[in-house]
Amino acid sequence: MKRVYPIESRCIGCRLCEVACVVAHSRTLDAINSFRLEGLVFNNERAKGFVDPAEASRAGRPRMTARCQVSPSQPYRISIRCRHCDDPECVLACKNGALYKDEEGRVLLDEAKCAGCWMCIMACPSGSIQRNIHRANVPGVENNGINHHCDLCADLGSDTPACVRVCPVAALVFEDRDEAADEMKSPQQQQEAVRAH
Amino acid sequence: MQANRGLADGVALFLGMQSMNMLDMVHNLPEFCVQRDQERCIRCLVCVQQCPYECTYYDTERDAVWNQEANCVACRRCEAMCPTKCITIAPRSAFRPNYHWQPHLIRTGHKQGDTGGVVLTGCGNDKDYMCYFDRMVIDASQVTNPSIDPLREPMELRTFIGSKPEGYDLKPGIARTNGEYGPTPPNIQCEMPILFAPMSFGAISYNFQKGLALAARAMGTFFNTGEGGLHPDFYPFKDNAIVQVASGRFGVSADYLKAAAAVEIKIGQGAKPGIGGHLPGEKVTREISRTRMIPQGADAISPAPQHDIYSIEDLRLLIYAIKEATNYTKPVSVKIAAVHNVSAIASGIVRAGADIVVIDGFRGGTGAAPAIIRDHVGIPIEVAIAQVDQRLRDEGIRHRASIIAAGGIRNSADVVKAVALGADAVYVGTAAMVAVGCTVCQQCHRGKCAWGITSNRADLLPRLPADVAFERLSNLLRGWSHEIKEMLGLMGINSIESLRGNRLKLRGVGLSEQELNVLGIQQAGI
Repeated sequence: MKRVYPIESRCIGCRLCEVACVVAHSRTLDAINSFRLEGLVFNNERAKGFVDPAEASRAGRPRMTARCQVSPSQPYRISIRCRHCDDPECVLACKNGALYKDEEGRVLLDEAKCAGCWMCIMACPSGSIQRNIHRANVPGVENNGINHHCDLCADLGSDTPACVRVCPVAALVFEDRDEAADEMKSPQQQQEAVRAH
Repeated sequence: MQANRGLADGVALFLGMQSMNMLDMVHNLPEFCVQRDQERCIRCLVCVQQCPYECTYYDTERDAVWNQEANCVACRRCEAMCPTKCITIAPRSAFRPNYHWQPHLIRTGHKQGDTGGVVLTGCGNDKDYMCYFDRMVIDASQVTNPSIDPLREPMELRTFIGSKPEGYDLKPGIARTNGEYGPTPPNIQCEMPILFAPMSFGAISYNFQKGLALAARAMGTFFNTGEGGLHPDFYPFKDNAIVQVASGRFGVSADYLKAAAAVEIKIGQGAKPGIGGHLPGEKVTREISRTRMIPQGADAISPAPQHDIYSIEDLRLLIYAIKEATNYTKPVSVKIAAVHNVSAIASGIVRAGADIVVIDGFRGGTGAAPAIIRDHVGIPIEVAIAQVDQRLRDEGIRHRASIIAAGGIRNSADVVKAVALGADAVYVGTAAMVAVGCTVCQQCHRGKCAWGITSNRADLLPRLPADVAFERLSNLLRGWSHEIKEMLGLMGINSIESLRGNRLKLRGVGLSEQELNVLGIQQAGI
């Protein structure tokens, strides 16, 4: 199965992958409209690291994270997203059956079923699930957001995910790797493979 | 006053305002203005992450991206990366117009009042001296002599660089040099009359130098290590490397000399004739310290002269020491800055045994140089090439060395004009940097290049991947080669050799008789 792999040595940490992700999943498919009119704006906490989330909402606009995240801690830069694990912990943890693995191997979300319990966030070993605070499925209950993770741009009309297409230094690749074989290698061999790339 | 400065900074920090500080005039009067169309800004913070000069920041209270404009250097990285193109960089408010006190002079005065230091800069002389390349036009064939179509007929750009024999005997492989018979002197074969200029690892990034090496190998030309030594990773590119021996002798070893295709003795640099190289300590990372064999973080200041060369006779000793060390298998080049009397100096260099004379004009770039020297010392490369070529011809020793013109070659027309004036080939430095994204913001000396071209800082280095540099540099050489072939064709010439020193193909526009004489060309219309 094809997955998005970041190449750490090439990443410049510009976060254009995050912008592309938000735009690709927006209604208008326009950078300015999707951020300014659709209310799909970054959480501004990230600018200063971790700040009180209430401060973000005080800024007025509901904000939303992209489905990929660039590690903000310098000098390490890497763009992280859902790994679409072969044995996904999140799917096991989902009490409503909202998360499922489709026939291609992607971990996808049935938004109608998600109750926003965040057990997937607790279970995810790579910390790549965020909260989508724009969707509420339980009327009357204060909603803190439903599952929000990389869908590999499924059903968005392109063979390659938006983040891979937009990366200015080709630090993201979309390819089919034999992950089981990779795991057999020693960490040193894995590093060499990355460097050779 | 130091205390005063500390107090002013402290107050500014405490109040969150930018106070007037009498010891920081440069920051009181910013040079550029960063205009951000707030209607278009989506606060994605890409520009904040990309600015290495601490100019762009995000204000959480206002939910807006803002600028500390005094820090802007107009590198335009933020503008290029902005996904909504909401940023415009513009000159800020003007000083009262004054022809004698131009803004850059006032700003430099402020800077020196602030610091008392020597103002450093990068890139080449940016002042408004006349450019002779722009006052020369190229001839074309019409009716009486046919032009050649390079798309349909063969066109030769291959250039051999090095000493040529006076003649050949009938026995193959035996050449006559200085009246004696022996093997043909070593030459390097270049598929086009364009080589990459000396730019040291340190002045430029690891990735950019690797890109230069890859492009040189792929396109059949050469890159030059500059005075910074050859990184162990680049030894595989040795067949396309010219290595420099400069006054600091950074990274020079027997292996280094033996590795290269040619060895270059650097006497001077066009951007700073008469002074040595500067690599500020901020730029000396671990890899650079290894390559140069100097301590990490130490300024690498090479001496102004080569302390073993005080005369042409001394130069001859070093040239022949290198020739002995490399068993007479490699051409030895001597690089000088274009200065007054350059033709007499070049004649001495050729007589000292150099196979290549490199002349670096005053527009030549640098990784770091005092601005006052960059802007006021040296002469234009155009007159230097013409004078050196003519002098060597008059003395009958032109064949004994190739001339490489460096410093200020911007496009393929400059290459054609330089060759017509008498150069065998040219070095391109700034043009190569521009091809990989440089915006000539002249901050090379700060080691913070936003485009990753002249910085080896871990977070900036990946901004220019070696494969991207390779592709873009190859494109540049490919494009220029096509253009040069077209220009040769329209002159009715099918080989770059037939253009060398062919000044009848040039005419001057708007030049005085004296200037035309120095350049050895005729007035347009004649």
